[in-house]
Amino acid sequence: MTRDSHIDSADFVVVGSGAAGASAARVLAEAGREVIVLEEGPEVRQEDRGLGAVESFLRLFRDKGTQVAMGRSVIPVLQARCVGGTTVVNGAIVWRLPEKAYERAFGAIGARDAIPLAALEERMDRIERDLSVGPAPERLLGGNGSLMKRGSETLGWAGHPIRRNVLDCQGSGRCMEACPTKRKQSMEVTYLPRAAKHGARILPEHEVRTIDMSAARAVGVTGVRGDGSSFRIAAKRGVVLAASAIQSPCILRRSGIGPREHVGQHFRLHPATAVAGVYRDPVRIWEGATQSFEVDHFRDEGFKMEVTGLPVELAGVRLPGMGQAFQRAMAEYPRMAVWGVQIRAEAEGSVSPANGRSDLRYTPTPADMEIFRRGARRLAEMHFAAGALRVYPGVHGGPDVIESPDDLGQLDELPLDPRCWSIISSHLFSTCRMAKDDRAGVVGYDGAVHGTRGLWVLDASALPTNLGVNPQHTIMALATLLAERLV
Amino acid sequence: MRLGPEAQRRIAVVLADVFGEPIDVALDIAAFLDGYLQRAPARAALGIRLGVWAVTWLPFALVGVPLPGSALSPATRARYIERWAHSRTYILREAFYLLKAIALMGWGAHPSVRARLGVGPLAVAHPDART
Repeated sequence: MTRDSHIDSADFVVVGSGAAGASAARVLAEAGREVIVLEEGPEVRQEDRGLGAVESFLRLFRDKGTQVAMGRSVIPVLQARCVGGTTVVNGAIVWRLPEKAYERAFGAIGARDAIPLAALEERMDRIERDLSVGPAPERLLGGNGSLMKRGSETLGWAGHPIRRNVLDCQGSGRCMEACPTKRKQSMEVTYLPRAAKHGARILPEHEVRTIDMSAARAVGVTGVRGDGSSFRIAAKRGVVLAASAIQSPCILRRSGIGPREHVGQHFRLHPATAVAGVYRDPVRIWEGATQSFEVDHFRDEGFKMEVTGLPVELAGVRLPGMGQAFQRAMAEYPRMAVWGVQIRAEAEGSVSPANGRSDLRYTPTPADMEIFRRGARRLAEMHFAAGALRVYPGVHGGPDVIESPDDLGQLDELPLDPRCWSIISSHLFSTCRMAKDDRAGVVGYDGAVHGTRGLWVLDASALPTNLGVNPQHTIMALATLLAERLV
Repeated sequence: MRLGPEAQRRIAVVLADVFGEPIDVALDIAAFLDGYLQRAPARAALGIRLGVWAVTWLPFALVGVPLPGSALSPATRARYIERWAHSRTYILREAFYLLKAIALMGWGAHPSVRARLGVGPLAVAHPDART
């Protein structure tokens, strides 16, 4: 690392350029404050878009797509690392925070007055206008979404086209590779340019390592650029941490800030798994919106189901069979629908910095695994209701394939050991959770880190718990609301 | 981290049986693995390289034959691969699936495979991209 004595400054230094950082930067810049946004990852160039799963992982994801949480099993944890954060590579799903979820998160910690649901909803209204949010139209459901619609209607389960932040979607099915047509209204094409228009400076390849404190006040940040040189940026009014539920607590831990019993603890996820079904007619999963339809009929039971447009280079990992059997299974890929189940898990893990990386620990509880088993069974049931010829549950120790709805009972016996399941997660929460005081959490109802001045955490790490719905919208609304109070 | 030509040849023979592909496609997948190792984070690259080594050199431990996986008879190699995939030991099973997952990305990116499945090219160019 080389030394660089140049010290820049701004009213606010925003760490992270994803859903939370971009939202906060927009608010602060539009209010006339000097803002510098620091993003650890690179800019997303047009030539980085739509290159397939491998290049997307290598160019746009944290640890090049290899980040995992370790516990009883290994769980891949997908996060972007680029300007715009995970909004660049997610499925563009926008979920308004339901009242029950609000109560579980904010009501339960006594924050109804400080963070009223109505105030969040007002910000959500604005965000939805800004990001062109609307339900996926019929033409974009694709075979994958149309079949889930048919299956859920047959069973009488509540389902609907997914509301997405996309303007004039072309249905290229490549949301997770950075939208090749830039139709997805992710942060690098919406709020970041808007913040920049009002004077915000967005600096890619600037990784913040520590917060600089003076007499319990945040006065700047120190970090490393992509070329290895160090930098320091002074914050005249304060530092906004919006680096994600993994990076924000790691920065606090490295800086020795916040209650150690809570910083990086209470790590919550929405773990997910997928079940594939094979149909008589072509599904062509790669056409249409990547994620177009969802079934939230069982949300009160702790799980939610949505279509998952897995590309061919990822789809075959858990399919059974080798050699010619593998070839036969993959020959059915054009007739395959893949649906996922995400659960509102009760397990809590931890996040801590380790040798320049992040050490993630997480193990689903037995109750979480019961929900997974119910969710997988429901997915299989819905596949058959939609006309599937056979279903691949993808669980070690369970049946390789289910050929008839009469055999669905076998799924009630699926093992509950997480090591038998293929679990993944991209929704991360609560590692700097909000609480009234530092005996219960890291930040107060205003997002300020307890016991400090000029330091706020406004991202998913501040959420008191996992939500049970896709979190981008809530993250943006909360960051917007709390940033407005900093102005 | 690299996968040398001989290591590529050996793992290609095993991958050809895993994916049911001719050896020329499997050699391309092995070359992909080599390229991936050079770009992956060090810890992940080390894990994958160890996985390649283990799948190449552990027939003795899993099927009792003191030969590399590439030198097994087709029937023994099929039994060997099944032992990995269905091992009761989680770390062995996951090591195999990690290698399969990475190799599968090379398989799914292969032009002949994509043409066979009718999924179009890996990368898309969109002249109507917004600027």
